[in-house]
Amino acid sequence: MRLRTLPMLLILLLVAYVVVVAVTELPPYGIAGNPVHNQVSQRYIESAWEETGVLNMITAVVLDYRAYDTMFETIVLFTAVLAVIITLKTTEREGDGK
Amino acid sequence: MRVLLDELMVNYPYFAAMILFIIGAFTVLTRSNLFKKLIGINIMESAIFLMFIAAGNIRGGAVPILDEANPQTVCINPLPSALMLTGIVVSVSVTAFALALIIRLHQSYGTTDARRIAELRKRWHANEGNH
Repeated sequence: MRLRTLPMLLILLLVAYVVVVAVTELPPYGIAGNPVHNQVSQRYIESAWEETGVLNMITAVVLDYRAYDTMFETIVLFTAVLAVIITLKTTEREGDGK
Repeated sequence: MRVLLDELMVNYPYFAAMILFIIGAFTVLTRSNLFKKLIGINIMESAIFLMFIAAGNIRGGAVPILDEANPQTVCINPLPSALMLTGIVVSVSVTAFALALIIRLHQSYGTTDARRIAELRKRWHANEGNH
């Protein structure tokens, strides 16, 4: 256990150093002029009400602007449920056979 | 060093997300119990969600719901929140399928320890070669 943990710890410390340096290079947190708040989100904030008639902008993005995304998201969820059912059902049949 | 620490204090939500991600990766790499590995994967997912939600935040910004009384207030970015909704669904799907696979592995091998399962498989293949 110890022999396996030590090299992993060293690798992860290296990765941690790299990501900490990356965090220091990011734009300061919580400022309105950051590159994250570009024209895309401005467009959603300004015209979500006129274009979709929804007060909540997150709902407007999820269910109107990116409705295809939400549709395929439900397909992902459905596929996962299907996979779980198939995975667990095979077991029961094998148990009956024995 | 001083400048580095100042920058870290300014960007503390990103820093917390990175630390969470490292903890999750360490759990996945060093624990042999499959449930603990799955918990590590979930910790890493939470770290990514925290990173994105923090990136969309504005200090003193309002909730992104249109307020007709004062429409000039600064709203936070609604896009990362909407995208992380998709991410949460994918994370739940992956967790459910992984749990189903762990149940099947436990039924086949009688253990949820990854190293023990590898040993059993090796022994099984050796016996198969003898016949």
